[in-house]
Amino acid sequence: MRAQAAVPLGRGRFTELALLIWVATIAITGFVAVLATETASFRPTAVVVPLVFLALMLSLHVFLVGIRFRGDQILLPIAAGLTAIGLVLVQRLASDLLLQQLSWSIIAAGAFAATIVVPRDLTALARYKWTWALLGVLLLIAPLLPVIGREINGARIWIKVGPGSIEPWEAVKILLVIFFAAYLEEYREVLSHAQRRIGPFPVPPVPYLVPIVAMWVIAMLVMVFEKDMGATVLFFGIFLAMLFLATGEAFYAIIGLVLLVLGGIVAYQLFGHVQARVDTWLRPFDEDLRFGTGYQLIQGLYALANGGLIGVGLGNGMPDRIPIVWSDFVFDAFAEEAGLAGAIALLALYLVFLYRGMLIALRAPTMFLQLLAAGLSFIVALQTLVIVGGNLRLIPLTGITLPFVAYGGSSLVTNWMLVGILMRVSQISDRMRGGGPS
Amino acid sequence: MEITFAVLLWGVRILFLVLLYLFLIRVFSSLQRSLATENAIAARPTGLAHLVVQRTVRGAFRVGDRLPLRAVNGLGRDAGNDIVINDEAASARHALVEFADGEWWVEDAGSTNGTVVNGEVVRSRERLQYGDELAIGRVALRLEQ
Repeated sequence: MRAQAAVPLGRGRFTELALLIWVATIAITGFVAVLATETASFRPTAVVVPLVFLALMLSLHVFLVGIRFRGDQILLPIAAGLTAIGLVLVQRLASDLLLQQLSWSIIAAGAFAATIVVPRDLTALARYKWTWALLGVLLLIAPLLPVIGREINGARIWIKVGPGSIEPWEAVKILLVIFFAAYLEEYREVLSHAQRRIGPFPVPPVPYLVPIVAMWVIAMLVMVFEKDMGATVLFFGIFLAMLFLATGEAFYAIIGLVLLVLGGIVAYQLFGHVQARVDTWLRPFDEDLRFGTGYQLIQGLYALANGGLIGVGLGNGMPDRIPIVWSDFVFDAFAEEAGLAGAIALLALYLVFLYRGMLIALRAPTMFLQLLAAGLSFIVALQTLVIVGGNLRLIPLTGITLPFVAYGGSSLVTNWMLVGILMRVSQISDRMRGGGPS
Repeated sequence: MEITFAVLLWGVRILFLVLLYLFLIRVFSSLQRSLATENAIAARPTGLAHLVVQRTVRGAFRVGDRLPLRAVNGLGRDAGNDIVINDEAASARHALVEFADGEWWVEDAGSTNGTVVNGEVVRSRERLQYGDELAIGRVALRLEQ
């Protein structure tokens, strides 16, 4: 049966290369459009940046071919495409930050390569699950500590590192998914085959409920003390999704959502920052909010309206009217300049990413790897939903980054590591099935 | 000149959108092709014989799954096995099924809960006939051609 391995198809990664060439044309066209519009503020770095980025992506491809990496060939081009759109938008919205964002993408590419090579045995990660959990919780509460913690734009989710600051939450996401996957793999049986039932509801032995309640408490603490509703929704949402995937019990998901809503209602009554977010969402045009907390959202909505079907053209919009547009409102800025057509294409890319991630999860050989892949793809999907929903005023706005696209270093690095892990999982499945091309 | 530049610029802006969609289409078709190859591999008759799942636990196999066998197959919970048995009652490296001298053999790899063939615990190495039922943990597999 070894004969299959001799088929040369698995050698090259031609699909990946072909898709990366498309990414290159998109990146170059995007930069040309933006630079040609802003000829007044032209700087030579703007020409170098896309070229460096493309060289970077090409070297990642060569690296994968070089180590004979077999596994998914679609995720890398999607991530590269999204990051390229991100760079175009940083050039458009905050060109001072362009070099910084490029350096972050170089670090992200390094982190990606490290993820592909370093953990020899991905399954072994499951063995240290309590270490990941502890590390995750420590990082989660780190911004609350007096010396290193920082509050930026009303959310206390940053820690100071040297001259800059990083968002530990970004790393926490991955750590927690690893922990959840390992934990659920171990206790799935107990959680899903509860001996006692009250009506239609399974009642697992009390000790196994503790983590669910603990997760909820931690999520609520994040909302109250770090003033970060986005992280709360993400954190708890990932946990519920993975719990549902592992056990198949809708009951857990329903009770979790009820708990989340109850927590939200109580928080709305008690805490000013939650109230402000919800009020801004419900009535941004009111007299007292229009030029206050509602201003950013209103300008975002005007940008969407201005965009129309095919947009006003890259570089031709007025995104600078939206405060902090480069981190919170990139989606609106993109939708203004590329229109509904561009926005849908962007969302479709995330959709394909999720679809591919879920396929990898389905094919993964063990429960741990399945949950890991599903959880990681779900992070990207949920994050996109929460921020795009916030930008479109479908749900209250929260300060979550649009994966790969929004300006921000911690987010870019962790998302690329996430892609690395997903590709590793797909490689394991391929190898176990006797090595077919994919 | 003024007008041609503006027209060119609009051309580039539209081109960006067009390229975005072309990229998307390419991604979809790659996805489609990769799925087709995977299905082809899955459908390809592989293996000398099959283990057909008779009994299973949640999260492992589905009843009726046909697992192709190679000449030597490691069975167990660990991901490094040829046939991964995702059941807590199975050991990490549970048993070995191999084809030697024109016969199928099963060998217990020092498992905690033992390997059972047709209701009898495997002592060291035993011959497997087609139709024999092999039980590992709570999973039961029948050897078929």
